[in-house]
Amino acid sequence: MSAVEGTRKDAGFSPMAALKAPLMVALLLIVLLLALGEYLSPGFASAQQILRLLIVAALMGIVAAGQNLVILGGREGIDLSVGGVVSLAAIIAGNLMSGQDSGILLAVLGCLAAGALIGLINGIGVTLLRIPPLVMTLGMLGVLQGLLVVIRNGIPSGRAAPGLSGFVTQPLFLGLPGIIWLWIAIGLLMAFLLRRTILGYRIYAIGSNEQAAFMAGMPVKTTRILLFVLSGMFAAIAGICLLGYTGSSFANVGEQYMLPSIIAVVFGGTPLSGGKGGYTGTMAGAILLTVLQGILTTVNIDESGRQMVFGATLLLLMLFYGRGQALRT
Amino acid sequence: MARLVAKAVSKTYGATKALRRGDLEVEAGEVHVLIGSNGSGKSTLCKIVAGSVRPDSGELLLDGKPVTINDPQEAKTYGIGIFYQELSLAAHRTVAENILLSNLPGGVFVDRKQLVATASRYIALFDGVTGEGFSAGATVEALRPDQRQLVEIMKALSTEAPILIFDEPTSALDRAQVDRFFDILRRLKAEGRSIVFISHRMDEIFALGDRVTVIRDGETVATKRIDETDAAEVIRLMVGGESAGMETAARAPAANKAAAQTVLSVGNLSGVGFHNVSFDLAAGEILGLGGLHGQGQSAVLRALFGASPPSSGSVSLKGEPLDANSPRATIKRGVAYVSGDRRRDGVIAGRPILENVTPIHALKQRLALAAPSSLRDRAKPALEALRTKFAGFGHPISSLSGGNQQKIVIARWLIDRPDVLLLDDPTKGIDLSAKTDLFQLIRKLAAEGMAIVLYSSEDAELLGNADRILVFNGGGVTRELTGADRTAFNLYQAAYEAA
Amino acid sequence: MSDIAIAPPKTAGHGLKRAIERFPFLPALLILVVLLVLNGLYQPRSVSLVGITGLVKTYLALMLLAVAQTYVVYAGDIDLSAGAIVSLVNVSIITAMDALGGGTSAVLLGLGLGLLVGLACGIVNGIVVAALRLQAIVATFATSIFFTGLALYVLPVAGTPAPTAFWRTYGGRILDIPFVMYAAVLLAVLLLVLARTQLTTRLLAVGDDQQAAYQSGLPVTRIRITGYALAGLFAALAAFCITGDTASGDPLVGGKMTLNSVAAVVLGGTALAGGFGTVTGSVIGALIIGLIGSLVFFVGTPSEWQNLVQGVAILVALMVGILVSRGARR
Repeated sequence: MSAVEGTRKDAGFSPMAALKAPLMVALLLIVLLLALGEYLSPGFASAQQILRLLIVAALMGIVAAGQNLVILGGREGIDLSVGGVVSLAAIIAGNLMSGQDSGILLAVLGCLAAGALIGLINGIGVTLLRIPPLVMTLGMLGVLQGLLVVIRNGIPSGRAAPGLSGFVTQPLFLGLPGIIWLWIAIGLLMAFLLRRTILGYRIYAIGSNEQAAFMAGMPVKTTRILLFVLSGMFAAIAGICLLGYTGSSFANVGEQYMLPSIIAVVFGGTPLSGGKGGYTGTMAGAILLTVLQGILTTVNIDESGRQMVFGATLLLLMLFYGRGQALRT
Repeated sequence: MARLVAKAVSKTYGATKALRRGDLEVEAGEVHVLIGSNGSGKSTLCKIVAGSVRPDSGELLLDGKPVTINDPQEAKTYGIGIFYQELSLAAHRTVAENILLSNLPGGVFVDRKQLVATASRYIALFDGVTGEGFSAGATVEALRPDQRQLVEIMKALSTEAPILIFDEPTSALDRAQVDRFFDILRRLKAEGRSIVFISHRMDEIFALGDRVTVIRDGETVATKRIDETDAAEVIRLMVGGESAGMETAARAPAANKAAAQTVLSVGNLSGVGFHNVSFDLAAGEILGLGGLHGQGQSAVLRALFGASPPSSGSVSLKGEPLDANSPRATIKRGVAYVSGDRRRDGVIAGRPILENVTPIHALKQRLALAAPSSLRDRAKPALEALRTKFAGFGHPISSLSGGNQQKIVIARWLIDRPDVLLLDDPTKGIDLSAKTDLFQLIRKLAAEGMAIVLYSSEDAELLGNADRILVFNGGGVTRELTGADRTAFNLYQAAYEAA
Repeated sequence: MSDIAIAPPKTAGHGLKRAIERFPFLPALLILVVLLVLNGLYQPRSVSLVGITGLVKTYLALMLLAVAQTYVVYAGDIDLSAGAIVSLVNVSIITAMDALGGGTSAVLLGLGLGLLVGLACGIVNGIVVAALRLQAIVATFATSIFFTGLALYVLPVAGTPAPTAFWRTYGGRILDIPFVMYAAVLLAVLLLVLARTQLTTRLLAVGDDQQAAYQSGLPVTRIRITGYALAGLFAALAAFCITGDTASGDPLVGGKMTLNSVAAVVLGGTALAGGFGTVTGSVIGALIIGLIGSLVFFVGTPSEWQNLVQGVAILVALMVGILVSRGARR
């Protein structure tokens, strides 16, 4: 070992270590699953099908971005309210744009504000009142579900503007729809945020050792509140896109993202204890989950069999990822 | 035949060799003292014997027969009981439940009467010294630290094991509690039990022990009969050949101290664990805080840093009042604080060295973007000044040895120079060469005009580096040692004086 | 009462702190009383025997599921499959009773089978979380999908009715006292008995500090698995109540109950981090959720606003409970 070294030198490449990296595991599994899908049902891995899967994955991946941030921030960080926010945003967006392209901007701004507000309340509850995140966001989920009922009863449910639907489902650039580009942009943004900004360093520091972060003068509470705000905003973006995907919103459309968004994060290599991991893996995790679900809907088995296989596969996959520490070290 | 033998036991955690070659031989009916500086591997050796840590290699023999101990439960069946330094108590359970946790009386149901009766037998051993609020039904959470330590002692005793291991059982106890505990140990020894006892206090070791085994840097270096050795020899064995490198000569007071400007002024500062502390600190001065461990020194430093704000008193920094509300606020004003508990307060474990060395720089420069190359350039001189050994900025800090981790943590404060450096037992558990590097730097920083407050649990460090020493006792300053008064004798005397 | 104190502590002082330490459900009890009074004010009939019976009949299942959740939370774990176990047991017993002809013996056999199914599900959860060391939140979510799949396999569509003997008994009266009241009393006795077991103390010790419990020589993995197994059994009991209440099989009946069971546990003053809490509190928590629902109805909230008001009220109750117990214990 030299005394001080300026340049970054990574440890030598080891194939075994690389295989164990969650991102590699996820990518490998995605390829395997695509091959399996193609074998079970020819055409599954066609470009068109993959694109369709990617759109679905992008929706989950965008929700998982916020979830990822909250989990990275540690202290049992988790956001169960994302499901409610997605549904809420889909409804608000539908009502605000009511099928008109001219309403899209207003809808986006309105949804982002709503998502941010919900995240802010979550964040304040978690930090200033020190309510455990699971409890706070679980309670918030209940509130949002109630709010959905009120909104749906009060205002006629709106439709997606053609521009929004096109953005989500129609090719925009290089044959890929806008939502894929949006997801890629979010992926780059997250990578930049986590690796090249002081805020990113701070998020990891708080998640890894909150006390040390505090002693190093980091604004622990403000940062954690910000993470919940971002989570709400990402869920809101996903909600808008979901409206574009389905055309019109329906009851509790977002609930399907609540726990899967957490699983995507875990499959991406971010343990629920926080402080390590990143979003690139989460993106792969979201694709992995979507491909898995895609295969199960393609093959000709009952809903019951589908769920059993899905549940068992999830458990099996989890064995690859950050199992807890043994009691005896 | 020895009752317990550990032969060439080793354990590695990641990059850290916690124990290289631990050897231990304990006879029936003896108190065997295990001694070594912090991080030398004593606790690891004990935990391996008690089954809670899996050794990488080595052999354990009980009454001459090789055994494999797979978990703490099994250790109990082999007749090994242990007092854990970090305690193994369930905070919300009662004292009685904790004492008998792994062996609750009754079958499917807990026999509460029997539980209290049995636990009370062990509580009675300490009758009169347990202090207020200590009862079989009290929850551990509500107890003071010394009382918790008593519960852990009772818990170990309740195993009635022939081999009892006590890993620093007296650190929070008062004199009367220690005396009582030692009486109990002597009685157990007379019964023929084997007792392994870890302590840092020489007086305890010589009062109680029959033999002493010294561990240095994870290796057993010697076992001696207590009546054939003395404190000086034990210390020599502990520190080994490196002891020569330790600075002992008193530092000459800063030359033009009278002319130096007062940087930090503390007036009647009070808070949790300390009261009415006043002092002025000049630029270029190293002020030592001395006394027995835990007499309020850390509390004062943490209060000045804003980690646990003081309740009353005044602090001014360079003539302006300092509102010590949070570390963030004091850091911005030019205060730096290095904790001895680096795992709790300093190291952002699992994160790269770069992220560990730059947070203060980022805060002071109000950085938003993290440009690794420029951050590396800024951090390099600070790390070089401390002779930090590391392979690259991208490696996780946890891959480094304890001493180098602490150097990284200290270096984070030096990228942008603070006006005041608060050192809270900064060398706790780090190796001698790292200590030497650190104190060389501290002297240099002082010479360059930084105002430094140094609390150390090692008197030699204070005597060798501080211009003045404030001796703490019971949360207040009881004596100030300056100039020629800074002697080991005076320091010792002041520390042990009744507050 | 889960935490049976051994002897009154010798020191007085901090009366409230001590009381809450011993009975963590006190804040919840206070909320419950306030809700009962408010319910009584707005709808006097709701606090009559009939009203209370109705409340218990509807919420006995949630109470039991909250109890199930509590034993897992004691050890610092969580069970997001609790509702799925309820569904699986529900369809299992309905199908079994139906296949066996619906007589008394069929009902009893069905109930026995239900307990076995619940137990098996609990053990699977325990093995997955404690022995394989997967993260409880995601692992039990995965098992919940698996259990739901099984439930769908047993009974693909909702509808098979329960034997008349079964739901008549559940909804009926014995000696002029509603059956559910007997069940509630039986539950109370059962909880009291369980609170005195080694297992409860050991679960709480594990939840307090897993590493410390291990170092003390407790078989931590086995204890956690037992906690999940016990939760499985109570989930089965919850399924019996649901089945008695709805009188039919539905493979998705329990799904919505999982998060409510967690909320009930927290409302009852049990710490999600483990090591501290009572099953009594969880029962109270479940009742609070029920009473909030009925109060929202009784005060005449417009129907579309009821869910929202209820959600806000539960969130506020959760926060108040946590803040009060923390404030008092400090």
